[in-house]
Amino acid sequence: MRPILSLLLISLFILPGCEETPVVMDDDNPVMGDLEHIAYEPMPYDLQIPDFFPEMIIPEENPLTVDGVELGRFLFYDPILSLDSTQSCASCHLVEGAFTDNLAVSFGVQGLPGKRSSMSLLNVGYYYNGLFWDGRSPNLEEQALHPIEDPLEMDNTWEVVIDRLQNHEIYPEMFRKAFGIKDREDIDRDLATKAIASFERTLISGGNSKYDRKFLAQEPGVPFTVSEFRGRDMFFDESEEGLPDAQCFHCHGGVLLTVNDYRNNGLQEVDDLNDFEDFGLGAVTGKLIDNGKFRAPTLRNIALTAPYMHDGSIETLEEVIDFYNEGVHYADNLDENLVIQPLGLDEEMKADLLAFLHTLTDTTFLSNPAYQNPFEE
Amino acid sequence: MKKLLLVLPLGLFLLSGCVKEEEVGGLELNFKATWDDAPLVMLNEYDYEGGLKMTFQRFNFYIADVQLASESSTEDLIDIEFVDFDNMASTSEAEAGYSFLVDNIPAGDYATFRIGLGVPADLNATADSDYSGSHPLARASHYWPGWESYIFAMINGKVDTDGDGQFDDSSVLYHTGSDACYRLVEYTFPVRIEADKVTDLDLVVDLHQLFEDGNGGYIDILENTNTHNIQDLSVANQVMDNFTQSLKIVY
Repeated sequence: MRPILSLLLISLFILPGCEETPVVMDDDNPVMGDLEHIAYEPMPYDLQIPDFFPEMIIPEENPLTVDGVELGRFLFYDPILSLDSTQSCASCHLVEGAFTDNLAVSFGVQGLPGKRSSMSLLNVGYYYNGLFWDGRSPNLEEQALHPIEDPLEMDNTWEVVIDRLQNHEIYPEMFRKAFGIKDREDIDRDLATKAIASFERTLISGGNSKYDRKFLAQEPGVPFTVSEFRGRDMFFDESEEGLPDAQCFHCHGGVLLTVNDYRNNGLQEVDDLNDFEDFGLGAVTGKLIDNGKFRAPTLRNIALTAPYMHDGSIETLEEVIDFYNEGVHYADNLDENLVIQPLGLDEEMKADLLAFLHTLTDTTFLSNPAYQNPFEE
Repeated sequence: MKKLLLVLPLGLFLLSGCVKEEEVGGLELNFKATWDDAPLVMLNEYDYEGGLKMTFQRFNFYIADVQLASESSTEDLIDIEFVDFDNMASTSEAEAGYSFLVDNIPAGDYATFRIGLGVPADLNATADSDYSGSHPLARASHYWPGWESYIFAMINGKVDTDGDGQFDDSSVLYHTGSDACYRLVEYTFPVRIEADKVTDLDLVVDLHQLFEDGNGGYIDILENTNTHNIQDLSVANQVMDNFTQSLKIVY
């Protein structure tokens, strides 16, 4: 019996040794697991959502963590994502512009103008019905892939970006803390976009505007002028004194002040739905009926996001109100709520509507430390 | 040995009872919209009374409390869902309809089909912000805070009154809502759910019939352009009454 036991022990000792492939550490075989000495202790991120907001759906494959959001914030503000390291996501989505750049259209690293105006990212985590003005991306993770390689935006390649991130001074450790990767070689574009998407989901504005405090949070003692009240009544078509329906809430209703839908709001008159300069949603769905339709954006902080419309063609809110009151152009798929022109708003009513739109401003959102540029801290 | 022989069949009998699964099948509810029996296609032109022409851009509605019932049991099929014809932009899409598949229905013969049109009171007491994502009731476009109600059915169209081919003369914005507009319809006919099979049920609503005025004519759509006034739901109630009459089941 003893010889058998001895053989068994010897073979157990030898066998694992035979199977193990010796690691050769050179350029072709980088050291594996160079980040494993760094602790990976993911902490859930406490998303601050107003009581009157819906719950935000977070993808199971990309849970919000403190380190993931922080990594996303760094990436969002870091110009190394662009070809010449001059532009970051924040170049077109500035916090002071409620995450727009206040330009009609944005300019990329080559100085070329983009096709459309930069969208506000405010409450973008609730955009389940497609991202971009035309809805072509199904979720934030997928959306974040595109600006990097768009020649009119960052004009880079993901290969270059990943190389920069893998060899960066701080990012490998941040990716380790965010996602538990074992090695810097594990950094890839899926993780990078997950992090950016996580940060974007935290960009929640709600609860601190005058309108929120008065009507949604129902705080006592919040002042609201007669003009603001009248503007609200027209916005939501809830006037008991016979004020006209300003037709706003059909597209900008709900607590998010967007119905998350795509509409033709009458910017271009066309005899044929194939004549739109920009097909918008139609280019994505391939349906004629969708040509000229664009996402109805949130009106939260709308006073801070000029110029307006997907093409940035209207400079001020006053002009926007004039446009909807009597400047809408006909097309067969023009939103049916805008067909009857003019809406019938006189100068006082337009001023009332404008006053109400200003009650949607939330300046605390702009100054929130969690949204600021980490490279300037 | 005798005891063992007695116990064995008993055990087998009990065991087979434990593992036996109920036989179930599926039911596909396929909603179709028509205008005078022709498939309803968004932006197509349709004749309306008085020489008017109309196009439609939205026709959608909630269904709720969908049940199949037999003498011995009632199966709840759908609590709440949203039927949406807004994207029916071609005849083929309109003919295909808008479908829901309900599975795991106990196989058997049923005699009654029930369907609610709109949002029942308990759910209508909630709001869009109580739901997230793709939940049918999460649609901000279909909750009207001023009414404290969901919009049960939405019919949006445009009208050409002068025959110039542009539908820019008037609009029809019929939005029904409030608890009083909820309708529960019951159909009695035999439905067989077979194990491991899907039974098809077509539900066809003719939109033109929803404009009937209840007196043998049709609603004056130039006088009644919308139903936004919660104080006057006469047109909205008429539309919902018409809905119960218009909805036909093809089995």
